[in-house]
Amino acid sequence: MTVDPSAAGSPGFLAHLSPLAKLAAPLPAMIVLVVARDLVTPLTFLALAYLLLLVGRRMSWRVAALLFVGLPIGAAIMGLALGLWVDAALVDDTPAVLRVGAWTLHAGAVEVGLATGARLAAILALGLIAGLTTTGPDLVRASVQQLRVPYRIGYAALAAIRFVPRFAYELELIRQAHRVRGAHGGRGPFAAVARGAGYVVPLLAGAIRHAERVALAMDARAFGAHPDRTERYLLPWRRRDTVFVLAFWAVSAATLAALFPWGL
Amino acid sequence: MPDDPAPLLHLRGVAITHEGADAAAPASVSFDVRPGEVVLLLGPSGSGKSTLALASNGLIPQAVPARLEGTVTVRGMSTRETPVATLARHVGMVFQDPDAQLVTGSVFDEVAFGPENLQMPVAEVLARTEQALRRVGLWDRRAENPDRLSGGGKQRLAIACALAMGSELLVLDEPTANLDPAGIEDVYAALRDVAADGRSVLLVEHDLDAAAELTDRVVVLDADGRTIADGGVDEVLRDRADELDALGVWLPVSTMAALALRRAGWDLPRLPLTPPELHEALESADAPVPRAGDSLLGRVEERPEPRPDLHSAHPAVEVSGLTLRRGRRTVLHDVDLTIGAGEFVAVVGANGAGKTTLVQAIAGVLAPPHGTVRVDGADPATTALRDLSRRIGFVFQNPEHQFIAHTVFDELAHGLRGRGLEDAEIRTRTTRMLARFGLEAKADVHPFLLSGGQKRRLSVGTALIAGAPVLALDEPTFGQDRARADELLQLLRDLNEAGTTVIVVTHDMQLVAEYAERTVVVHDGRIRADAATRDVFADEALLREAGLRRPALQRALRGVTRHPQLAGITALRDLAGGRG
Repeated sequence: MTVDPSAAGSPGFLAHLSPLAKLAAPLPAMIVLVVARDLVTPLTFLALAYLLLLVGRRMSWRVAALLFVGLPIGAAIMGLALGLWVDAALVDDTPAVLRVGAWTLHAGAVEVGLATGARLAAILALGLIAGLTTTGPDLVRASVQQLRVPYRIGYAALAAIRFVPRFAYELELIRQAHRVRGAHGGRGPFAAVARGAGYVVPLLAGAIRHAERVALAMDARAFGAHPDRTERYLLPWRRRDTVFVLAFWAVSAATLAALFPWGL
Repeated sequence: MPDDPAPLLHLRGVAITHEGADAAAPASVSFDVRPGEVVLLLGPSGSGKSTLALASNGLIPQAVPARLEGTVTVRGMSTRETPVATLARHVGMVFQDPDAQLVTGSVFDEVAFGPENLQMPVAEVLARTEQALRRVGLWDRRAENPDRLSGGGKQRLAIACALAMGSELLVLDEPTANLDPAGIEDVYAALRDVAADGRSVLLVEHDLDAAAELTDRVVVLDADGRTIADGGVDEVLRDRADELDALGVWLPVSTMAALALRRAGWDLPRLPLTPPELHEALESADAPVPRAGDSLLGRVEERPEPRPDLHSAHPAVEVSGLTLRRGRRTVLHDVDLTIGAGEFVAVVGANGAGKTTLVQAIAGVLAPPHGTVRVDGADPATTALRDLSRRIGFVFQNPEHQFIAHTVFDELAHGLRGRGLEDAEIRTRTTRMLARFGLEAKADVHPFLLSGGQKRRLSVGTALIAGAPVLALDEPTFGQDRARADELLQLLRDLNEAGTTVIVVTHDMQLVAEYAERTVVVHDGRIRADAATRDVFADEALLREAGLRRPALQRALRGVTRHPQLAGITALRDLAGGRG
């Protein structure tokens, strides 16, 4: 969760929606996109997701870079690479784009690959509607408040997320230390596995100790003592959340109906 | 006052046995903390002070598997049955590791976390959080991620978290053990404010120089964890200082200095606890009449000066024009440094100054650019690590990080294997190293099952076994208690006297003053000063600029006008009869 809520000036309307609404709204479309095969359906939903993000979220350089550089390039590379993997027998009726010796790249393969890349991009972009406008704590709060997820689990998960950078740092230290000791010298996958195994014990020992300490510190502050806890930020399910979800579903249904059978 | 019907915290005959432990530690503790009191809990390593801290709010026995005998009550409520959450309204905890107490993503949320858990109304949560953050001076940083605070800032945040719970009693378990000198000052400034509000404090602390002036009462445990002293600061620290010293309890440096001076024949009727008190005591005392052989002045002059001419003849480490970048940031700028064979050098500086990076580059942990570093004639950039390990050994901050074998024996033998040595030779040399570090009985034990002090000794042993004449250590005393730190430093001094060149990165200024003959001050990636330790500590402006502080002893002795022979002394061992 790298989005810093305090940094937001005017965050845009998406930030005022329940995190759960932002997750539920694109869900049906995401499921259909998993099975869709054409290029138009994913591109339509990609456009819809981008439209929402552009209108509903304050634009920052990092987000712009992600949406207009990272995601398209990633999807294109992925799509072209997947195109090379497509079974040539399925597409050998389409014109050839490239011939290297006996191997032929058919236009159909490129199209299948790009469609796949577009699907991945569309699914990701739909996920970003919630991902770029919601903080981890808000998602936990909404889950606790609306879905009745026990707060002990939700907040323990948040505390656990904090462990990740610490463990990454600790792993780096252990790697350095083992390298200096000349542990498991050698190249190749087997040496790498052996090296990795050597990191496990110290990392685990540190992790367990750290987790125990955090748990004690949380206990000492009465965490988990009562069936619920004060919520300073109420994230109620408002009418606008219902409207947003229903509207998104309606648009999804209309789009999907118009584009049926999505290349199946 | 002694028969106060409801002391805040009341302990009688408390013995705690951790699950799987053979003996109770502490074995029998009795004392009270009354409203408004600041109580300092002292005792040697292993006496169970931290365990006792956990028992003060019911974490033991309710959250930690351990057997509790005797009585612990908070405001008359037994900690055995009263839920921790209820006790948490009265007792707030601050632990040693600042990073292991953070739960949320902002300073404000962190403080609000406790009151929220107590189901307080929102308005009250907000009011308490604001009040607590203002009290420790973090209100302006309330929107920040707690990770961005310094170590001292994080501990102040932990104090605020305890205050917001409404705690009348604050229990702090070695709150400054992981901090640099500026961080320690920071935490004690906050604690002074808390005490001034009339709240009680139970403080487990080794750094008595910071704690002594704040303390009302001192409780001392012996090695088994039995209360052997409980009284006012004067009554315990002043009148029974000799006894505590013999027990291995660390005393304020000023007190230790006075004990040493007494042994040298000085007449100091009232033992000082703080630098100003020592200063005052010395100004009003006569120097003892020197006797042949043991005069203070004579001793000072006897101390060998650093031998620069000898060093330049055979440098152990040569650094020239070393610039290192990490990502886009330049961590070291064009550093030049020469360390002679047989020197004991301290590398000091504030957090992030680049001192660890410098020493890591010397030891080949980080690859330095070609031709910028030479260790014993070899360039770490082009030397295989196995060969480099015969020239320089590096000891990481956390010894566990560098253990790679399943037994202590193999851990040591690893550095010898693969070099064409015969098995018998490896066995002999490993056994010799085990004996040297007092680990013979532990040869077949897994390194992770050793005690903290043993782990540290083993890590030094692994760095030395390949025969390295240079030993570099990164914060070897970080997070350790004084007794262990002392033991390690004694070991390093022995090695140094036997000819090993020692390079230590540390925050502990008194340690530097005691052991290092030369001190290198790193500031903003540059060497800000490189001189004899006493000269570095003589330069107040330099220390301030580099985020460092004077060691307590020097603060006391500087400016003693009546005995000019004392004014330049920074190390306890320079006072005749001192420890070590």
